[in-house]
Amino acid sequence: MNELSKIKTSIKWNGDSAVTLFFDEAAGEDLTRYILSLAEEFKSSFPGMIIEAIPAYQSLTICFDVLAIETDTIDDALKQVVDNHIPNTTNAVVSRLIEIPVCYQGDYAPDLERLAEHCKLSPAEVIRQHTEKDYLVNMLGFLPGFLYLSGLSEQLHCPRKEVPSLKVVAGSVGIGGNQTGIYPVDSPGGWQIIGQTPVSIFSPAASEPFIAQALDKIRFVPIDIGKFEQMKSEQA
Amino acid sequence: MSLRFIKAGLQTSIQDDGRFGFMHQGISRSGAMDPLSLQLANWLVSNPLNQAAIEITLVGPTIEFTRNLSVAICGAEFDLSLNGKSVFNNETINVKASDVLEFKQLRHGARAYLAIAGELNVDSLFASQSTHLTAGLGGYNGRQFKTNDVLEVYPKQETDKRALPETYRPIYAGSYLLRCCNGIETDCFDRESLDSFYHSRYKVSKDLNRMGLRLEGNLVFLNTAKDIVSSGLIQGSIQIPPSGLPIISSVDGQTIGGYPRVANVISSDLNILGQLKPGDKIAWSLVSRAKAWQHLQQKQRFLNKLLLS
Repeated sequence: MNELSKIKTSIKWNGDSAVTLFFDEAAGEDLTRYILSLAEEFKSSFPGMIIEAIPAYQSLTICFDVLAIETDTIDDALKQVVDNHIPNTTNAVVSRLIEIPVCYQGDYAPDLERLAEHCKLSPAEVIRQHTEKDYLVNMLGFLPGFLYLSGLSEQLHCPRKEVPSLKVVAGSVGIGGNQTGIYPVDSPGGWQIIGQTPVSIFSPAASEPFIAQALDKIRFVPIDIGKFEQMKSEQA
Repeated sequence: MSLRFIKAGLQTSIQDDGRFGFMHQGISRSGAMDPLSLQLANWLVSNPLNQAAIEITLVGPTIEFTRNLSVAICGAEFDLSLNGKSVFNNETINVKASDVLEFKQLRHGARAYLAIAGELNVDSLFASQSTHLTAGLGGYNGRQFKTNDVLEVYPKQETDKRALPETYRPIYAGSYLLRCCNGIETDCFDRESLDSFYHSRYKVSKDLNRMGLRLEGNLVFLNTAKDIVSSGLIQGSIQIPPSGLPIISSVDGQTIGGYPRVANVISSDLNILGQLKPGDKIAWSLVSRAKAWQHLQQKQRFLNKLLLS
């Protein structure tokens, strides 16, 4: 952690009301932890003036209330926060392991065969590789509650569909390029769908709307169609 | 009940000034595409300026009121009729139970805001009553209005009739200047591409919604085929996808993006995005951040002056 506090950071303006900090460091758990800690530092250094702090793999985007901030000295003030930041280890985010049941069978896995063929693996082997590892949640974004996961086995990399599907149902588990993920809401999408979870990834009205946060780990657990339908009906 | 949609219009939804502070969870700002018009409409009915109102897009609704209410319309200009008689934007209108308000031909702009004195009876979700159309949350059941939907309002007592001073009435000419500041990937484009971008006019394509607006015109290309690592994508970012045609990200846009950004529309011009319609022309101008901040401060003073009047 101490070494990370010396990582090379460049600050770039992102329009007139935001900056993006870029970190010259490989994406992963340590960097994500550092980014989250820096985001908190910004919020406490500029109370009430920061509208958004958006972490990504190797960057942090901070949006300001330009009318509230001292614009003449802002560049120096930002730099100072970064230079003086000591990562907070006492209140560090706790990483949880979250198991997500996935049915990799039948209509719930429309693209499994195609993906297996592309990867020159059997469907069973695709499922085995997809469920054997724990994935790191790098960040949330794109769609509400969408988890950016890293750690997909290289053997499972597969290009996106040339023509995206108009509607992918919420809960669909897919692979696109070197990424795997779960669609949190119904949406158009180009990923190869290899399964579906009966669990809600994003429940807007719940007290905990998101199934996971950045730094959590995700483990996919295979379930059969019977179990999927049972869990789905229990939820309804 | 307080009002009923006899016709819903193309995309009619509840919007306030948006939700702030949830982009790190993938929830974009949502809210009015033209927040200035929302504020002006609310001023006319003595509401807090950022209160939720009804956003109306290109093809307007027909609404039957079921109780006496004070309402006002700002933003895009439609031919408006109340029980067959003309009424107008930019002034308070007192309607009675069983009155019918019809949005007919669109004349100028793209989005109108119908504010109602009082509060709309919809839940607040993620600190806003706005409808997030792509996520299907907030506003009226997370969706745009349909025929026969009924919206309940907690009305205020009839308010004083107000009219918007002449200087506050916008002109939507169909041809706009959008001022820009550099974006985080501007230096990935060479001089020639940037010149071609700034010195030509673009046309708003048919492919536009609350997520983003696609433009037609000169192609813009990257210096090198540089790989961009996805990062926070904010409203007003002008992205250049492999096709070379710019896309301006808007209020319902995704929160993380992977296309390089050639520029960002400055904050004080973002409300113009809400009034663009297919075929409109856009010219760009690059300004310094200091200038952009000045423009925003001026705009705030302009609005404050109205509040004190």
